[in-house]
Amino acid sequence: MYRYDEYDATLVRERIGEFRDQIERRLDGRLSEDEFKPLRLMNGVYLQLHAYMLRVAIPYGTLNSAQVRTLARIARHYDRGYGHFTTRTNIQFNWPALTDVPAILEELAAVEMHAIQTSGNCIRNTTADPYSGAAADEIEDGRPWAEIIRQWSSLHPEFTFLPRKFKIAVNGAAEDRAGLRVHDIGLQIVRDALGQTGFEVWVGGGQGRTPRLAVKTRDFLEPRDLLSYLTAVLRVYNQHGRRDNMYKARIKILVEALGAEAFIAEVEEEFEAIRDSELRLPDAEIARIRSFFGTPSIHNPAPLPEAGEPGFRHWLKRNRRAHRVDGLSSIVISLKPIGGTPGDATDEQLDIIADLTARYGLDEIRVTPEQNLLLPHVHNEDLHPLWLALKSAGLATPNAGLATDIVSCPGMDYCSLATARSIPIAQAIAKRLEVAGLSEAAGDVTIKVDGCINACGHHHVANIGVLGLDKRGEEYYQITLGGAFGKDAAIGGIVGKGLAGDDVPDAIARILETYLQLRRGSETFIDTLRRTGADAFKEAIYVAQ
Amino acid sequence: MLRSDFAPETDRNAMAQLASGGGVVVELPGDADWRAVGEQIRSAVQVDIRFASFKDGRGFTLATQLRTRLHYQGRLRATGDLIPDQARYLKRVGFDAITPDRSDLAADWAKAEQRFSVVYQPASDAIATITELRNREGDDLERLNARYRQSDALEILRDAIETTWRGRIALLSSFGTEAAVSLHLISRIDPATPVFFLDTGRHFAQTEQYLRTLTERLNLTNLRVLKPDAAEAREEDGDGYLWQRDADACCALRKVRPLARALDGFDALVTGRKRFHGGARTELPVVERVADGLRVNPLANWSAEQIQAYFQTHDLPRHPLADMGYSSIGCWTCTAPAYGGGGLRAGRWPGQDKTECGIHAPAQGAAVRPERK
Repeated sequence: MYRYDEYDATLVRERIGEFRDQIERRLDGRLSEDEFKPLRLMNGVYLQLHAYMLRVAIPYGTLNSAQVRTLARIARHYDRGYGHFTTRTNIQFNWPALTDVPAILEELAAVEMHAIQTSGNCIRNTTADPYSGAAADEIEDGRPWAEIIRQWSSLHPEFTFLPRKFKIAVNGAAEDRAGLRVHDIGLQIVRDALGQTGFEVWVGGGQGRTPRLAVKTRDFLEPRDLLSYLTAVLRVYNQHGRRDNMYKARIKILVEALGAEAFIAEVEEEFEAIRDSELRLPDAEIARIRSFFGTPSIHNPAPLPEAGEPGFRHWLKRNRRAHRVDGLSSIVISLKPIGGTPGDATDEQLDIIADLTARYGLDEIRVTPEQNLLLPHVHNEDLHPLWLALKSAGLATPNAGLATDIVSCPGMDYCSLATARSIPIAQAIAKRLEVAGLSEAAGDVTIKVDGCINACGHHHVANIGVLGLDKRGEEYYQITLGGAFGKDAAIGGIVGKGLAGDDVPDAIARILETYLQLRRGSETFIDTLRRTGADAFKEAIYVAQ
Repeated sequence: MLRSDFAPETDRNAMAQLASGGGVVVELPGDADWRAVGEQIRSAVQVDIRFASFKDGRGFTLATQLRTRLHYQGRLRATGDLIPDQARYLKRVGFDAITPDRSDLAADWAKAEQRFSVVYQPASDAIATITELRNREGDDLERLNARYRQSDALEILRDAIETTWRGRIALLSSFGTEAAVSLHLISRIDPATPVFFLDTGRHFAQTEQYLRTLTERLNLTNLRVLKPDAAEAREEDGDGYLWQRDADACCALRKVRPLARALDGFDALVTGRKRFHGGARTELPVVERVADGLRVNPLANWSAEQIQAYFQTHDLPRHPLADMGYSSIGCWTCTAPAYGGGGLRAGRWPGQDKTECGIHAPAQGAAVRPERK
């Protein structure tokens, strides 16, 4: 894991001083609310329905046990005993007092964390494949590049007042687990003919009101030119992105308006002009950052346990992922207990997770875009004691990747933008599917629920998406089918008129039942849907009406 | 609005020219296309970029492009709806002056401009970035080590204490078997140099006695005894047996954290570590960066024989335990005599893999993390 040096630590410390001062100036009136709002947002502080919310950055989703313990303490002392992990692999605290925020930031800084640029119209926390350093299909670890981007984007003098937010993701494996096609910039690590690694660059993806898949702007970018190229893209966007309409301000709209070809030409012109500037990354710096990351090596690899309770074996089958090193496994800690709030963890659970991370996880844990946690490196002989410990903490739900592993935004229960509730809908769907045994029967399928069109819950790229809207004070829910997040990314299509919230769980159950009738051989839900088209599924949704 | 020392030569020239009635001032809106204004600003001595709203960041890119693509070298001033929190960004992208619409916040502007001491990004202000500083420091350390290779321990210490880290350097002493050498060297240069001793509460009585003997004999006037935080000690080691349960945690409580607290205000720490101690010390450089700052190891290349010779030449008193087989001395809980070989530090944490207490932990995580114990 990356460790701060004195420069990194100094910057975070000075940033806390700045925010403390900004709060003071807001309270005594030197800053108006209009001026304060973008400043607090750029430090992760939202004003929600009931209280302020603080979003803490988890760079590329990676945490160590000391950091998890600090999150537990913050949940306990400053919140109501829990935190909420997000689809962009950050964590949110829903109930802090504004005046406590500087103290929280001090606690975070002590374990090399911050809330810098977790909101606002600036470059947000850079995400990466949660399986980095562990995945069998990895080409190169993406985390060093995400860390280089984290540093470069922090308090950027030119790109802190952009037209709209800006999200970058890095993926270093063959499969795309970072969702590059739905990011403002997606960086895919590839190998050229000579075996050198570099980046394939995707620009202009995004979800929200106008979901778009990114276009490829470059087949190969030399690693040392990464920051020059990012600067060129951001510079074109900062000058030409729309500022008259916040719904049309994302870079995806600019790419579409200019056309990919013209956009790329503009970026290339700027890139050529600055390619040989101080932005070029020195080899020594790349090597320095890389030295913090790696794949563990082990001596006496143990085989996977074959015996054990049925519950243990079942959990292994569902929540374990193969590791690139013989004798190690990656384990998903599901934050989706049936009927629970997706992505929530209590302070006690966080403390237990911290202990298990230190004890069984080589002191490293990841947050996934599915709002789960992942222990990337677990010794096979530790799998059973790990399961026992997780089970007694309510953290061993064996549903990773299944229909009950539902992603959900906070929705009307917390969010001031929401048009409908999302958490209760997700809970009702999970209970309905579990009771009917459909979750296990249907196998791998993604279900994501949003409480408004901003799509923090990623419903557009779910196999089955649920979007909550409001019509004259009545909540109703649109179902989308066929979305996908990875290499085969796709935006789901709306199936028809919206449903009442109470009807959603049954409709989802009928969708899965339809799949079970139609599937051939080992087809997954999305395979079947793509083969047959959506008609039979649409029919099933509306059959009762 | 901004502090006067930030006005560069071009700015002063432009001001003089404007004051004498010559030169052109051009005003551009923040959303102007830099490609379209080349002609307009050619003869300007001052360009004003007007920000319609502080939330509209186009002016930051416009200023950057005027400076870097059009090579505009005259005075550049930001005007309009700007807030103090933007002071540093404005300065960084190439503005010489700022005249915000709201004019009553001069103190906030001045403060905001000084808020940050480090930057990650290269920009028009040409401040050295963190990346540059990191790599430059690497070069500096290399040069310093090259220079110190030609020097003996006394010369290294004299340079370190009187010149290179003057007022920001201390000596850490264990008051162990070899400690008298660096303490004596320090006393020859400046007996008022701060000397840190980590009082873990677990030292041999003989070590404490030796500390008094040496301090008096060498006339050391700035001994600082560093103790563990009492509240932490109660919480983490209530029964006093933490050393048995988890030696690393005990060292963290009684050595690592007390030292870290004491290092505030110091850039470098002199240690008595030597390469012949073996283990992780085999490759010890004279100057190195570790996790919490710099270490200066003037005795790095000394042999056991050189140390004995130095004791004799200067008639230095011996640690009372030295004759009893203890060649390296830490806490009584975790130190045994080093009988039967295994190196000078063989008696430290006997029976464990542990060889260092952690106060000189390296600056970076290793490429591959060590396997779990």
